[in-house]
Amino acid sequence: MAAAAGSGTPREEEGPSGEAAAPQPQAPTSAPGARLSRLPLARVKALVKADPDVTLAGQEAIFILARAAELFVETIAKDAYCCAQQGKRKTLQRRDLDNAIEAVDEFAFLEGTLD
Amino acid sequence: MAERPEDLNLPNAVITRIIKEALPDGVNISKEARSAISRAASVFVLYATSCANNFAMKGKRKTLNASDVLSAMEEMEFQRFVTPLKEALEEQKKKDKDKKTDPEEQDKSRDEDNEEDEERLEEEEQNEEEEVDN
Repeated sequence: MAAAAGSGTPREEEGPSGEAAAPQPQAPTSAPGARLSRLPLARVKALVKADPDVTLAGQEAIFILARAAELFVETIAKDAYCCAQQGKRKTLQRRDLDNAIEAVDEFAFLEGTLD
Repeated sequence: MAERPEDLNLPNAVITRIIKEALPDGVNISKEARSAISRAASVFVLYATSCANNFAMKGKRKTLNASDVLSAMEEMEFQRFVTPLKEALEEQKKKDKDKKTDPEEQDKSRDEDNEEDEERLEEEEQNEEEEVDN
């Protein structure tokens, strides 16, 4: 059971809260440290399944969605940080995020969804 | 207890780590901001899924594939993600090929290799049967 099916499908036993023991990501690839931040594919799959219009999703699609979400988190964190910097603060606040969402066109889809 | 899709959060620990790695040393993030970013990531996946599904349907396919997701990224104006995503995909494929040379892994890989859409969302298959009213 520990040897879960091949390409990067971590254990899918997490409860709904998901706070329990942060799942250890798969072993990093050649670049140490660069691959430690990996969203579990099971969670991403759960989100994809939540869409009633989706019939099936290939494993590669799930994998890319997970990776895209990681890139998205990086991107929005950096953009929000620019706002915090302008406030000369060293802690990112919720309002920095709101400002980034308002300021950046690509984040428009988030408007109204985070409240 | 009905959960909205956005409530399907991604693990806090991983989200926090990604954020910390994206930001310079010494920069912190408030709990509210982190939680909001986590929700945003969930919304992102939902939105991307929906976009990708449109491309799949246009191609008269029932299975979301990688190129659907890449097309969705462009549609969502996240073109800058496309190249790193393609690279990640190549890397993953290479890893899978490497695993194939390991005889212990061969049986498992073979299953995954027959069709790339082995991730059957079986619940959806049943739902599909129920919802056939065009």
